[in-house]
Amino acid sequence: MNLSAISINHRSAPVELREALHLSEEEIAELVEKIKGSLFKEGLVISTCNRTEIYGFAVEKTTLPEIEKVLIGHKSLLNIKADNFQSFHSFSAIEHLFRVAAGIDSLLIGDNQIFKQVKDSFQLAEDLNFSGVLSKRIFDAAIKTGKRAINETLISEGAVTVSYAAVQLIEKIFSNLSKKSALIIGAGETGEIAAKHLRDRGIGRLSITNRTIERAEKLAASLNAKIIPFGNFKDYVYDYDIIISATSASGLILSKEDVENAMKRRNYASMVLMDIAVPRDIDPASKKIDYVFYHDIDSLNIIVEQNLAKRRDEIPKVEKIIKEELESLIGWYNSLEAGPTIKSLREYFEIVRAEEVDKNKNRFTDEDQEKLDIITKRIINKILHHPMVELKKLSGEGKNSDEMAARISIIRELFGIDKNNNEEDSK
Amino acid sequence: MKGLIDFLNVLLPVLYITTFIFYYLDFMKGGKVFSNSKRLLLFLTLIFHLFYLLFRTLYFEHPPITNVFEIFTVLAFAVGFSYFILELLTDIRGTGLFIIIISILFQLISSFFIQDLVAVKDVLKSNLLGIHVFSALLGYSAITISAVYGFLYLILYKEIKLNKFGLVFNRLPSLEVLEVLSFYSAVIGFILLTFAIIIGIIWLPKAFPDFSYADPKLIGTSMVWILYGIGIASKVFGKWRGKKVVTLSIIGFVLAIASTMLTNFLAQSFHSFY
Repeated sequence: MNLSAISINHRSAPVELREALHLSEEEIAELVEKIKGSLFKEGLVISTCNRTEIYGFAVEKTTLPEIEKVLIGHKSLLNIKADNFQSFHSFSAIEHLFRVAAGIDSLLIGDNQIFKQVKDSFQLAEDLNFSGVLSKRIFDAAIKTGKRAINETLISEGAVTVSYAAVQLIEKIFSNLSKKSALIIGAGETGEIAAKHLRDRGIGRLSITNRTIERAEKLAASLNAKIIPFGNFKDYVYDYDIIISATSASGLILSKEDVENAMKRRNYASMVLMDIAVPRDIDPASKKIDYVFYHDIDSLNIIVEQNLAKRRDEIPKVEKIIKEELESLIGWYNSLEAGPTIKSLREYFEIVRAEEVDKNKNRFTDEDQEKLDIITKRIINKILHHPMVELKKLSGEGKNSDEMAARISIIRELFGIDKNNNEEDSK
Repeated sequence: MKGLIDFLNVLLPVLYITTFIFYYLDFMKGGKVFSNSKRLLLFLTLIFHLFYLLFRTLYFEHPPITNVFEIFTVLAFAVGFSYFILELLTDIRGTGLFIIIISILFQLISSFFIQDLVAVKDVLKSNLLGIHVFSALLGYSAITISAVYGFLYLILYKEIKLNKFGLVFNRLPSLEVLEVLSFYSAVIGFILLTFAIIIGIIWLPKAFPDFSYADPKLIGTSMVWILYGIGIASKVFGKWRGKKVVTLSIIGFVLAIASTMLTNFLAQSFHSFY
């Protein structure tokens, strides 16, 4: 299989390069315009903040450095080296794509966002008419692999980021977040992610407080949250079931006494304090108060590490799925030779003919039944004569070339040969 | 039929223990195999148990409620059955092993010590007594479940406070769910016990004209009833929550079991029937 792939990812390049190479949908469309026909007949471009990859069935004599050059030129990057690229060819390229779709090639193992991004990339390739018979089949197999990895293993289970671990922990204390309220102290990146997670989980009431009011307003507007003035936010703490603090303050902003006062005012109804700031914002001694669940970044990291370890344990299972899907794809590709297809086509027509003759033979006399058999066989032979000659000709032109494989694939699909075979197998 | 009853008497603890092992393996390892088979196994165990109770009732010509060991086997069934219904209704599956272990204890004690009473005192052949015992046993199974959920609440509360995120943290439902399950089970138990006490008050003077209000069983039951009443009222009126309420539920359960055991083995009570 003449499939080539180049990849820039967390293993081959530093974050600055990965970020610089990130392509938007429009940029991908421009790139595809450049490479379609000149470098690749059909293919795929995947670009996320952590990886940019190009897969394609190369036109004759296309070399990997040429593909790399086009990509570098497209983003006007000069400080990129050959070492920053990983390259794959033939089935190893497909295996790499399967690993990406299944989430085991990600920086964050089991990251299921990548599965969605890969799916979107397939759709984009189709929209840009960059996909063909072979690549479509490979995309389908990659999607199947990703889905199986998510459904049949625990590769995407559990929180693996601090802010998501905070939400997971909160859900071990409160059963229904829609009836709860949360106050986010600090509208920086960490606070923003935590707030978004809570909003996604359907938090009932969300408020934000931040030293710089403009930033709080911006975040509050995007998350439909209320703003609490930072100057006197302590007066409002009692009114919230969940406090997530992620400021860049150099010292404590909430003392044990503040928490104690808040607990008294709320009649000791459970309160969760998530201190994800470094250095810490809330006095750790608050954890001694009854019904106060205080957790800092260290305790959340315990959850993250545990979940990452569990995900790592699942990698062999995912690799087994990848192996199975790859074997199935290789089996399909090998069936795209002229010989097996001629045989399958003949068998298919013979089955149809024999069934129909069998169904209707009682309408004929014994003598005519023999003639019926001969005539129908002759009709089938005549119908199949031209396609058989063409298939043999294809085979003679270049055995198992991708173009021949694509044509044979169309024939097999038209007559439902693989479908019929699968049905026979499942019986 | 006697042979079958004896066989089931031995088989039931084995079935409960096997079910417990499946619940344990599911808790420890997870996975669909144990998750699906444990529920089926509990269902089969309860079916066998139901037949055992029916066979005893038919063979000995009285329902198995005339002595503490007969009551224990009914209690084992009631606890298991109540949990089974709870699991079906709520789909909260991580707590089964903690409840089935209670059924195992009740059934083991019953299987070891149960006696074949053919002749039953006339006083026990009363419809009112049947209703009294039936509601009391259901009430006891409810407070048993309440105590187990209360106990689990305390464990999870401690684990979260101490940053221990192990199996208990991963498998149990949230603290709020455990508190709600414990509280509602306690409320159901309290209502059923109230009903049992009312029926008892109606039936008692008819059955035992010379009974005493200082009877240990009456005192014990009254204490349990008052304890649950205080706990429920405090929770409803918002004074108590979480740890306090579930601790009270656990104390109530221990008191209820102790009261049943003591009145039957040590003290002289009209509730001791042999």
